[in-house]
Amino acid sequence: MGSGGELRYEISQNAYIKLVLHSLKHKTSAVNGVFLGSSCDDVVQIIDSVPLFHNHLGLLPPLEISLIMIEEHYAALGLGIVGYFHANERSDDVELGNVAKNIGDHIYRYFPQAAILLITKKLEALPKGKDRLPVTRLYTRDASKNWKLAGSDGGCRLTTKEPAANVILLDYISSKKWEEVVDFDDHLDDITKDWLNPELFK
Amino acid sequence: MDCQSLDVAKDCVNVLQKKFPESKRVGRLEAMLLEAKGSWGEAEKAYSSLLEDNPFDQVVHKRRVALVKAQGNLSGAIDFLNKYLETFMADHDAWRELAEIYISLQMYKQAAFCYEELILSQPTVPLYHLAYADVLYTLGGIENLLTAKKYYSITIDLTGGKNTRALFGNLSVHVSYCTAFKRTKQGRQGQSRLAIFGVSSFGERVQAESF
Repeated sequence: MGSGGELRYEISQNAYIKLVLHSLKHKTSAVNGVFLGSSCDDVVQIIDSVPLFHNHLGLLPPLEISLIMIEEHYAALGLGIVGYFHANERSDDVELGNVAKNIGDHIYRYFPQAAILLITKKLEALPKGKDRLPVTRLYTRDASKNWKLAGSDGGCRLTTKEPAANVILLDYISSKKWEEVVDFDDHLDDITKDWLNPELFK
Repeated sequence: MDCQSLDVAKDCVNVLQKKFPESKRVGRLEAMLLEAKGSWGEAEKAYSSLLEDNPFDQVVHKRRVALVKAQGNLSGAIDFLNKYLETFMADHDAWRELAEIYISLQMYKQAAFCYEELILSQPTVPLYHLAYADVLYTLGGIENLLTAKKYYSITIDLTGGKNTRALFGNLSVHVSYCTAFKRTKQGRQGQSRLAIFGVSSFGERVQAESF
């Protein structure tokens, strides 16, 4: 249990909160995003995230463009795409759809330790404070090229880097911070909007 | 109901029911209330009985589709929408909804068909040309790429070069075409001119909007 070979994922507060806020902004649609980070030994550090789309997630042209732009920007900072985030249209749908799997496969080709995060619980169920676990499910790719739910064998493989992440998330939710999140769809509709969200956490 | 204040909604519906006991619209609101509460079976019965009385009620047909979609039964939603569109072919919102469901299920050929219907009925709306081009690009293949380029160009034309997605799409087609399909020098030059136009107009727009 928890031997040295098992991969762990550590997600920074900003990356986590940004994507959860994004899914709250578009409650009635499916949303997705990518994670940026790097790996060191058997820990994958997720340092930042970029929310991608809330419309027509299955279309290729906007996805291609966004991935190219994101990779180019973050390569200068020494980070690469390490994972994919997805939230389904209906809050009680916890299945990993084909679109998510295909995008995950594509990211896996460039980063073999890639993971997919699927947001699961309704956020009203978010425990107050003490829980370090994010409200998501982690999927990793096993040897038979299937995306398998991680953590089902007992180990807890995804943790937030800062323990108070859920508390801060609740705080942002109550102040409706999600309205300020800009995703790639917003950027393509109005290029003055910055998908890097530099002002979000200031 | 949209705010999930179901008690308030119930009170309103009761008052309306007393004032207009035989009204179809109140019947519809009652069925919508059942749907909002999550009582799928009862809502389905209510909508079906409303449709027996009036099989040409568009709103109830569409509510039934929404009901099925909310339960997660996308193939059922597709069936209902297709039947609905056999009767009400001019309903653009329904075609768009069907196209979106097809895209979410990665059934791109069927989504392309929906956008073709929309373009036929409303050829001056750039949104449909753009979406059709995106779907063609996603399908892939040399013919689809070239057709997608034409539709991106139409969108750029209709929007006066202001649509970022169409400009990007044009560039993407050019890059995919040149990397995947080695053509004659002449063919490549023809493609390049359009791409250069795309890049320059995009550059102008970025500059214009940042000041």
